[in-house]
Amino acid sequence: MKNLLRFFILIIPIGGILFFYNILTEDKFYPGASFKNTSVPQFELLSLQSKSPLINDDLNNEMLLNVWASWCITCRIEHGFLMKLKSEGITITGLNYKDEASDAIDWLNLYGNPYNYNLHDLKGSLALDMGVTGAPETFLIKNGVVLVHYSGEVNQGIWDKVFLPIIQDNEMFK
Amino acid sequence: MKRIILLSFIFLSSVSFSSEVYIFKSKADERRFYELIHEVRCPKCTSGSIASSNAPVSEDLKIKIAELINEGYSNKEIKDYARARFGNEVLYDPEINSTTLFLWFGPFLFLAIVFLGFIFRRKIG
Repeated sequence: MKNLLRFFILIIPIGGILFFYNILTEDKFYPGASFKNTSVPQFELLSLQSKSPLINDDLNNEMLLNVWASWCITCRIEHGFLMKLKSEGITITGLNYKDEASDAIDWLNLYGNPYNYNLHDLKGSLALDMGVTGAPETFLIKNGVVLVHYSGEVNQGIWDKVFLPIIQDNEMFK
Repeated sequence: MKRIILLSFIFLSSVSFSSEVYIFKSKADERRFYELIHEVRCPKCTSGSIASSNAPVSEDLKIKIAELINEGYSNKEIKDYARARFGNEVLYDPEINSTTLFLWFGPFLFLAIVFLGFIFRRKIG
């Protein structure tokens, strides 16, 4: 009985250490990423630049949807990486979130435009429907299904570890 | 007198800045709304219900919940709406399922282990 007790006294801290070591060093542990394969909700928004109406059918078959705003500082940091993705031939559509159209257009003119076009979500209605909590957030979408939803800045590290495996599995952007 | 004026400022300000934004078909719906917004966590905050938060996403979520109530959605459907988008942690009272089982009953398990350990310890003594 005494041995059993000793065993427990040992096993509890060792178990704790292993548990946290496992969680903290796990390569796949990205709190911002979710892979729930939901469909893109129905929407009807205006294009930021041309003001023409846009609906689900206007989305490309294989694309990134990037939630951004001119007031969002992290979006400015992320912007350089999005430009790089664009130069590699990845289609990025912008979801301009709770932003004045004129501010957003000025921002794109000033820093460069990585987007093929932008949905202007002034009220954040589509964003709410997609579970967006702020900006920046990025969705990887294939045929209207969200394969990856990432909250936070996408950079090379996140791209390689979170997005690329899914892109390769689904043979996208060939 | 001065105190009364100051106090009246405090009470009147809450009246003039809250409510009246959401319009419901019945008192019961309104009650449901206030219950629900206390049960849904603000997705952007560390901890706090959307009732206590004025983060943009909480404001949107409150407007959406009001809309869904007026469209006749049940409480469960509204909670499912929030959970599908913001995950299990968006509800203050998590449902009992396979992933939350440990969360609900883990403490009792722990208590049982400690209790058993205590009994054995006494026997050895």
